[in-house]
Amino acid sequence: MTRPLLSLANIEKRFGELRAVNGVTLDIHENEFFALLGASGSGKTTLLRMLAGFEIPSSGSILLDGRDISQVPPNHRPVNLMFQSYALFPHMSVAQNIAYGLEMERLPRSEINQRVDEMLSTIQLAHLAERKPHQLSGGQQQRVALGRALVKRPRLLLLDEPLGALDKKLRGEMQLELKHIQNTFGITFIVVTHDQEEALVMADRIAILKDGALLQCGSPRDIYEYPIDRFAADFIGIMNFLPSRVDAGALSAADGSRISAPLPGDLKSGDNVLAAVRPERLRLGAADADNCLSGQIRAMAYHGLDLHLHLDTSLSSQPLMVRLTADAAEGHPFAVGEKVTVGWSAQDTRVFTI
Amino acid sequence: MTNRSSLRLMLLILSATFAFLYIPISVLFALSFNASGLPTAWTGFSTHWYAALITNSDILSAALNTLVVAATSTLSATLLGTLLAIGVEIRRRKGHFLETLIFAPMIIPDIVLAIALLSFFSMLDLRMGLHTIIISHTVFNLAFVCAVVRARLKNFDWSIVEASTDLGATTSVTLRRVIFPVLMPAVASGALLAFTLSIDEFIIAYFTAGPGRDSITLPMQIFSMIRFGVTPEINALAVLVMTLSVVALAISQRLNRGRLPGQ
Repeated sequence: MTRPLLSLANIEKRFGELRAVNGVTLDIHENEFFALLGASGSGKTTLLRMLAGFEIPSSGSILLDGRDISQVPPNHRPVNLMFQSYALFPHMSVAQNIAYGLEMERLPRSEINQRVDEMLSTIQLAHLAERKPHQLSGGQQQRVALGRALVKRPRLLLLDEPLGALDKKLRGEMQLELKHIQNTFGITFIVVTHDQEEALVMADRIAILKDGALLQCGSPRDIYEYPIDRFAADFIGIMNFLPSRVDAGALSAADGSRISAPLPGDLKSGDNVLAAVRPERLRLGAADADNCLSGQIRAMAYHGLDLHLHLDTSLSSQPLMVRLTADAAEGHPFAVGEKVTVGWSAQDTRVFTI
Repeated sequence: MTNRSSLRLMLLILSATFAFLYIPISVLFALSFNASGLPTAWTGFSTHWYAALITNSDILSAALNTLVVAATSTLSATLLGTLLAIGVEIRRRKGHFLETLIFAPMIIPDIVLAIALLSFFSMLDLRMGLHTIIISHTVFNLAFVCAVVRARLKNFDWSIVEASTDLGATTSVTLRRVIFPVLMPAVASGALLAFTLSIDEFIIAYFTAGPGRDSITLPMQIFSMIRFGVTPEINALAVLVMTLSVVALAISQRLNRGRLPGQ
């Protein structure tokens, strides 16, 4: 296995009594699109600022290409940061903003001009090169910020909530464009986000941070399908939790009905657990499914692509959420108050300790 | 009282207030163009009192001194005040003790500051002259420049400083290429304010000046002239000083009102 591009070993950052980052160990590989995902206060921004050089770890090491950079100041790292607020220089034009980082490297003027022109066409802003940042839309400013960091061809590009300020539609387009640009340039991207959907769509690998520690790290599919615990399951996507008890190799739900599920080996009879199933794994009817239950429709939400049903059941005090594709919902004139039966298979059930 | 009569009363008070403010200045302005120069009768329009100023070598040398003091103290106060403002804003969390210290020269009565500076210079056994006036004017101007620049720094986006560092700039390059250009309107505004304050400052200059004519500034010159009565030349001189101050102040306020580029 080749040496990782970036290797974090036991990184800790304390601010007085507060442990913002608490023993994070992580390898990130060349050309990877990596997402640090966490709620606010999870330590993801502090971790990013340590990678950029704006914070120095209290302990632990940050190896970039095998060299410890944890004490190297930001202006001497082959790492660039795209700021959440974009932090464009308000008194400089788009082209001057992009050229700034290259001028700091004291490159010849001709090379600077050439690289700036290339970057302007990559971010599709060549026609606005002479504009000042305040004359641009939010999406255009975002691309200038990206271009300004990217033009330096860093070993590592850090992006702090890159799409946070954009409206939903534009965010969707930019997610794909970021992925495309990352692919074209072959630069390793680390993006910090609190938006799980953004992480799932863009990243090759995701690390979930909680209270300054690494909770789970894996591919989007791993993270979504096999969350490591109840928190991760709840944080990523939507999950139905059914309180149950382990009973002779199976689960017994709140109302006494049985739930079949693959049980982790360390559970013994009598343990209280949560059975969990994703809304899209529930199917209508499905009398032949491993697990089956009926409930009454409490509310419905039509999303075009799919239909969400909230069912009152005897399994949980929380309504059970069912997500039906447009196809599956076709021909069912659902009504609030109607009783429906849903089923799901044992292998789609996850079991978490409480 | 009806609405109509209350409106009339307000208009009356407003005009009385403005009359109180501007009639003396208007009289001064008019008299400076009065051919006879006497406040008793208007004998026709003339600019010869302005011409007389130019031939008065005492006034000319005092004017030159004032310009030297104003320009030099403005320059040094602007540089130091701006750096101070940036430094204080970066470390703002340290509390208000420093803040009070910075504003003190603005609040302390001029006469107190004048005496303090005079005692200080005497204690140092410093020879008094134009240079001591310059130092003294730098002291209070520094506080004003700092206040103006800090007001602008309150909504300064500090992330551009980090962005500059991130892109490879050293602290001094960041200062020169990012912080100063963005603060420029506030710095210029502070400088013009300082210039205005210095031009018509009398008390501190009077206390810290040296003996002889070498360190007489314009306000001091005017003061010494009116001891023998208000001459028409003084009217003309006062109008010129006032015009310069008003123009500088107007530009200063205009710059300060102008928004930061990009905001």
